[in-house]
Amino acid sequence: MNPSSFISTKRVCSRRQFLRSTGVALALPFLDAMIPAFARDAKVLPPRRVLAVCNNLGLVPEKFFPEKAGRDYTLSPYLEELRDNREEFTVFSGVSHPDVDGGHPADNCFLTAAPHPGSGGFRNTISLDQFAAERIGHLTRFPSLTLGVNVQQGLRSLSWTGTGALIPCEEKPSEVFKRLFLNGTPQQVAEQERKLALGQSIMDAVAGQAKSLQRDVGARDKERLDQYFTGVRDLEKRMAMAREWERKPKPIVKATMPKDPEGPREYMEKVRLMYDMARLAFENDSTRLITLMLDSVNSPAIEVEGQNTTDGYHNLSHHGKSPTKLAQLEMIDREHMKLLSSLFTELKTAHEGTDRLLDRTMILYGSNLGNANTHVTTNLPVLFAGGGFKHGQHLLFDRERNYPLPNLFVTMLQRLGIEASQFATSTGTMKGLEAV
Amino acid sequence: MKHLPAALVLLSTTASTLWAGVEATRPGQDFLEKRCYDCHDSETKKGNLDLTTLPFYLDDPKNFAMWVKVHDRIVDGEMPPKKKAQPEATERDTFLKTIAEPMTAADQTRATKDGRATQRRLNRYEYENTLRDLLHAPWLQIKEMLPEDGEAYRFNKIGEALDISHVQMSRYLAAADYALRQVMASQVSRPPTKTVRYYARDQRVFAGKMKFSVFNKSPERATFPLIGNQAQPDVRALKAPLSDPTKKDEEAMGVVASSYEPIELRFDQFKAPAAGRYKLRFSAYSAWVGPGPAGKWWHPDLDTVSAGRRPEPITIYSETPPRLLRLLGSFDVNPDPTVREIDTYLLSGESIRPDAARLFRSRPPNYHNPLAQEDGQPAVAFRWMEVEGPIYDQWPSAGHKLLFDSLPIQPGKNGRVEVVSTNPPKDAERLLRAFLQRAYREPATEEDVQRFLGIINSALKSGSTFADAMIAGYSGVLCSPAFICLEEKPGKLDDRALASRLAYFLWNSEPDETLRAAAARNELHKPEVLRAQTARLLADPKSQRFVNAFLDYWLDLRKGNATAPDAGLYPDYYLDDLLVESATTETQLFFNELLHNDLPARNIVSSDFAILNERLANHYGIPNVDGVNLRRVALPADCVRGGLLTQASVLKVTANGTTTSPVVRGAWVMERVLGRPPPPPPPNVPAVDPDTRGATTIREQLDKHRKLETCAACHAKIDPAGFALESFDVFGGWRTNYRALGEGEHVKGFGKNGQAFTFHEGPVVDASGKLPDGRNFTDIRSLKKLLLADERQVARNLARQLIVYGTGAPVRFGDRPQVEQILDQTSAKGYGVQSLVLAIVQNDLFQNK
Repeated sequence: MNPSSFISTKRVCSRRQFLRSTGVALALPFLDAMIPAFARDAKVLPPRRVLAVCNNLGLVPEKFFPEKAGRDYTLSPYLEELRDNREEFTVFSGVSHPDVDGGHPADNCFLTAAPHPGSGGFRNTISLDQFAAERIGHLTRFPSLTLGVNVQQGLRSLSWTGTGALIPCEEKPSEVFKRLFLNGTPQQVAEQERKLALGQSIMDAVAGQAKSLQRDVGARDKERLDQYFTGVRDLEKRMAMAREWERKPKPIVKATMPKDPEGPREYMEKVRLMYDMARLAFENDSTRLITLMLDSVNSPAIEVEGQNTTDGYHNLSHHGKSPTKLAQLEMIDREHMKLLSSLFTELKTAHEGTDRLLDRTMILYGSNLGNANTHVTTNLPVLFAGGGFKHGQHLLFDRERNYPLPNLFVTMLQRLGIEASQFATSTGTMKGLEAV
Repeated sequence: MKHLPAALVLLSTTASTLWAGVEATRPGQDFLEKRCYDCHDSETKKGNLDLTTLPFYLDDPKNFAMWVKVHDRIVDGEMPPKKKAQPEATERDTFLKTIAEPMTAADQTRATKDGRATQRRLNRYEYENTLRDLLHAPWLQIKEMLPEDGEAYRFNKIGEALDISHVQMSRYLAAADYALRQVMASQVSRPPTKTVRYYARDQRVFAGKMKFSVFNKSPERATFPLIGNQAQPDVRALKAPLSDPTKKDEEAMGVVASSYEPIELRFDQFKAPAAGRYKLRFSAYSAWVGPGPAGKWWHPDLDTVSAGRRPEPITIYSETPPRLLRLLGSFDVNPDPTVREIDTYLLSGESIRPDAARLFRSRPPNYHNPLAQEDGQPAVAFRWMEVEGPIYDQWPSAGHKLLFDSLPIQPGKNGRVEVVSTNPPKDAERLLRAFLQRAYREPATEEDVQRFLGIINSALKSGSTFADAMIAGYSGVLCSPAFICLEEKPGKLDDRALASRLAYFLWNSEPDETLRAAAARNELHKPEVLRAQTARLLADPKSQRFVNAFLDYWLDLRKGNATAPDAGLYPDYYLDDLLVESATTETQLFFNELLHNDLPARNIVSSDFAILNERLANHYGIPNVDGVNLRRVALPADCVRGGLLTQASVLKVTANGTTTSPVVRGAWVMERVLGRPPPPPPPNVPAVDPDTRGATTIREQLDKHRKLETCAACHAKIDPAGFALESFDVFGGWRTNYRALGEGEHVKGFGKNGQAFTFHEGPVVDASGKLPDGRNFTDIRSLKKLLLADERQVARNLARQLIVYGTGAPVRFGDRPQVEQILDQTSAKGYGVQSLVLAIVQNDLFQNK
């Protein structure tokens, strides 16, 4: 039994909550009781969400990065694939995670920015999504979802707990669908509830002791005990909320359960389906935090637009400037951009209240490698879309001395309504990125 | 101007409402008017200080701090400035006494009423150690499960900064549950202690990396088979079997590179079956691999092997997949097969990674092994690892017995163990009472027993197993305020609180049975008993926790790996884990040496010895130190090393990996070592951006700034030590010239990453300077001599840092007399570090909340 683990890993939500925030009143007694308690954590009522995607082989930099900075930049060959959505994203040049080196293992740090993943004594730190889940995860059935494509079992994902432990990813779209929309058996539900109830009784007991200690202490000591007491009560409320989620049936959707692609060769189809699952989860407010690791390193020859590549994806990335390899790599990279563009378009079309779902959803797409051919971890290719920011620009930073990417994470956290002024090696918020 | 009486001025300011009802006449009014108002009035307001309106309102901490500043500037002789008329000594002393008395009294009133310290929770170091000691499980890794602690006055020991949120609570709960389940017996009968040999050739990584693939055709990144100093080309070419069963013990796999992506050696066939103690024995040796074809001699020819030419250091890490590494230890292997043992604790599921740490780490493209010579390059050959363990001194473990006493255990569901109770309510209460008695640092109340019994009973009622229900109750105890908070009441600490304070000071953990017994007998506060207990705690190996935790914060040692040496400017340090690890250990062992041998505090500034291994000695340019073990080494006369200031760890945490700044290092030395913290930088002044192209030096850049009158006063105090330390690069290497990137003739050589150097010699370093009192120094040697002139100040600073750490409260104005008392008591021993600790514990500051 570990009550706290249930606070941070399981749960879905209905669309009712955002309906409330857009002014549609619904009879929802339990949420009524809960909202005030969390008001201080979530002052910003419109829900905001994050989808963070890392393609661990990156993109051929010459074709990805635009040259000119600012709003009137010219789309690069790859960004041409996103022309329809030019105003929906910002593209960055000259950004990276400070001191994150080590080649391929750096993908472990894409959302954590923990330095030196290749060195001895390395221990990862909390990832962006988990940091946010600890603060806003209780607002939805699932605090977060960790997804992957072609990931070697248990070896990679973008989500890491505060203890530096990997959260394994879900690799099958059908399993994601089941978790989101199919209800558990009554026994499973009861077992979950029992565990949470036990967690609540632990919190009750320690709160009782805190109360009794508060008697006859000085003002400064009392303030400390008050803070302890509040921490306990907040956790208890979150457990109560988790129990409510267990009781509530999962949302019913029109979409049908996807058929899982048969093998790693169908990489692109897997990516498309995972984007679909992310969109469904956001449309139903099942979670607000999703990470997706595209394990290209672990991918064999793959199928793009009905054709098979001649070499494995990883092998192609070490192209050594071979024209045939580069041509295939370009085909793959462009397909990535197309899929991303479709996702943006779908999120533009979907609405939440009067807002476009895209404006409520931040999408971070990037890589831990600046250039897979030489394994460098600087000048990372990064796209950032949606979330209600002023996009349509190319933010160009120093390519010699990179600008810290964790600053974008701080901006993202603040956009989620979390009071954070720092994340990992950040030095502030993202320069040049403004909310609408 | 004609100065209005302070009372009238007060009324005329907007602050008047704030201070209404406060007595407006101030002590020392005459002196202020006569000596200070010329510059510090409402018109001139020099240094932004208007003394005419500064109320003497000591309940307000900011106001109090201003008066401390006024006091200290006058004590130091800095005010009134030299060019102004100086007060007579008696006039000055009278004034100082007039304001100091009420200030001291105000602090003491506050200390009596609320205590100097605010009640606080355990920080994550303390929580980890406490669980390890309580549950008899020294291998528990808990610290990283908890969020980073808040910091105040540089330490993680201050109540005001140790916050608790629901995130913290949820992590405590998870950590407690994890720790309890880790110590519970994993199986009914004692797991057999086995001794198993894992041969390098049987490991997937060792064998797999021998073959080339589309991802690797490079011999630097491959393993190779050998027996003794004989290469095995047939095996390598896959023409002969990988292993010959009759030669198993002699077969080895070699590498010419240190572990790094893509070749990370691991004994992957071993996974620790349970957490606990293990003995790991390694058989390995150094070898020499022949050169590649003509014109490419720096590539290894893996089919040509000969005897090793020197010992090689090996570092051993444990790994929880994926990639969670812990340093377990290191040793040297010789050209002859060498067996070394590491006696250690492993977590369940960990495997072992050996690293030939001195060898290079190939980074693309076109790497060139910096250790390669025209006739070949060094290599390390691994034969096997032998594991003996898990080793238990009893079964079930002492930790299990604390939780379940001797209730019978039997196999349960899902391969777990079930604890059998024939009378659950009665057993639960008995076990809980015993656990509470042990966990709480004071006896549990009946109310508490019922509280936690409630958790257990409701768990039993809802269908939990007996063990699960008990663990739920125990988790509650380990998250409860009585466990995670240190309870101290204002005034003199009672013996129980004193025992806790002492144990959390010197062991960073709970008091043990002996200390508790002394407290229970109400004898601990007796000076001779307290002294004996302090000495006992210091002599115990657990005092290493104090040393490490204290240095982690005092010197920021925990940030030793936070920045990396720049790959372009410092390729010779870049990726050198052995250097980072050695540098951290050096500082820990150095402080140990001072503490355990009661060496004078002045050794912080300058010592005639250093704690070195070969890597550090090479780094420092000190000859004749071989091997990976750190030991005390006498330094040559006039060596720049010796003392903390010139240790690589300190010089690294005060730099950013690319450049150094005299301002940053100077401020750091002023605050951490000399105890004279400079004022914070003014807002809106950007930091100087050092030039890595070598056109200007940081000193030239700073000079413009230092010439401005508004900046000069502070920088004259901040920068001097920083200037002297400019002789040391970002990792503490000695330099006479800066390194620069860009145009210029590159220095010849290759980095640890195999890349050719791309830096060139930059401008000459000027390490000279002038102390604020006018004394000149030419370099670090002469600066150290000047600093040693006031060894009492060095000792004072150390005492203050120890008091903050040990009592969880800053040293306030009113605490100064006691600090001086401590210094007086230890001056005969040259302010020995151990003497200081003993005197602090005996002092009122330590014995009162």
